[in-house]
Amino acid sequence: MSGLKPGEVNLGTSIMAVEFAGGVIIGADSRTTTGSYIANRVTDKLTEVHDTIYCCRSGSAADTQAVADIVHYYLQMYSVQNGKPTVPLAASLFQELCYQNKDNLSAGIIVGGWDKENGGSVWNIPLGGSLHRQPFAIGGSGSTYIYGYCDATFRDGMSQEECIQFVKNSLALAMARDGSSGGVIRMAIITEKGVERIFVPGDELPVHWEG
Amino acid sequence: MSIMEYNGGAVVAMVGKNCVAIACDKRLGVQAMTISTEFKKTFQATPKTYIGLPGLATDVQTLAEKFRFKVNMYRLKEEREIEPRTLAHLVSSTLYERRFGPWFVEPVIAGLDKENRPFICSTDLIGCINFAKDFVVSGTTSNQLYGMCESLWEPDLEPEELFETISQSLMNAVDRDCLSGWGAEVTIITPEKIITRTLRSRQD
Repeated sequence: MSGLKPGEVNLGTSIMAVEFAGGVIIGADSRTTTGSYIANRVTDKLTEVHDTIYCCRSGSAADTQAVADIVHYYLQMYSVQNGKPTVPLAASLFQELCYQNKDNLSAGIIVGGWDKENGGSVWNIPLGGSLHRQPFAIGGSGSTYIYGYCDATFRDGMSQEECIQFVKNSLALAMARDGSSGGVIRMAIITEKGVERIFVPGDELPVHWEG
Repeated sequence: MSIMEYNGGAVVAMVGKNCVAIACDKRLGVQAMTISTEFKKTFQATPKTYIGLPGLATDVQTLAEKFRFKVNMYRLKEEREIEPRTLAHLVSSTLYERRFGPWFVEPVIAGLDKENRPFICSTDLIGCINFAKDFVVSGTTSNQLYGMCESLWEPDLEPEELFETISQSLMNAVDRDCLSGWGAEVTIITPEKIITRTLRSRQD
């Protein structure tokens, strides 16, 4: 498994995706670091690979951008030749790239989207290139601080609004503890109707115990 | 992984008109993980002098205690408070004593001398003193602080203006450093009084 090369830019990161009745909510922080310097404090880590299929990127910025671009290309070709792709198909493409190139990549990706056959679905692809469908998924360096909170808070059958609050609170907690995560929270609600983006600026982050 | 970047932290001091200011962040981390948001790095040495100690946290604590002891002994023997310039040399010798196994801190000193003239300086981890007329910076955020201070500082700022300038310099600099921030404390030293304020800052 390759680490970051000197000078390479790191998406330290806290990313998350949650499935609900009508679709998925995906969310991410906005910090990109080079060592301890914050190279970009307003990064967009939620990347479109198709109309209603997005991915959350963590790990090396270069690696995840390159992989997402390739999947975006494949899904464009697929949709022209075969019609709308499904989310598990997109996740499978990510998996193929991440697993076969595992020695040269540093990429942790969460795929989330909506399609007609499955409704909303969330697919977690951690570092080794395995594929896991989960009701909710967390990733990135900041996720380690919120496993307990997420396990305690998540319930099946939450509404869209409850899911948004869950993602917002979880990411705010991760951003408060993890040096490699911070900035603003970007979220996207993906449903049959399409994609609605939500932006939570730094001064509107949920505030928890601050010692 | 550099030992000076293990815990993170930032300190800055500036000269104003008949006053000085010193400010620090409040983060204590273990590499990327934040452990505490109440770890201040500035310490009062005398009624008119402060010392800021960014760097490895264990050495920050140990040296704060060592300097408290040395300043107290000086006061007992000399029957007067230590002057800022003398304290700077005391800090320098204490650090150079450990030339080949150094303390991992890069101190900043700010104070008023017996004629109430402003004094600031910083040293490196082995005691080289930098006497500055305008501002001094130290810690993991030093590059960002250099940029902010160079742009915002001007001579002869009154205490209230100096407070604004040093606060904006520190807050915007630490917002570009993952290892510093999570709160800040600013101290303004004037001939009449010392005012310490806590800043509300981003908690990320």
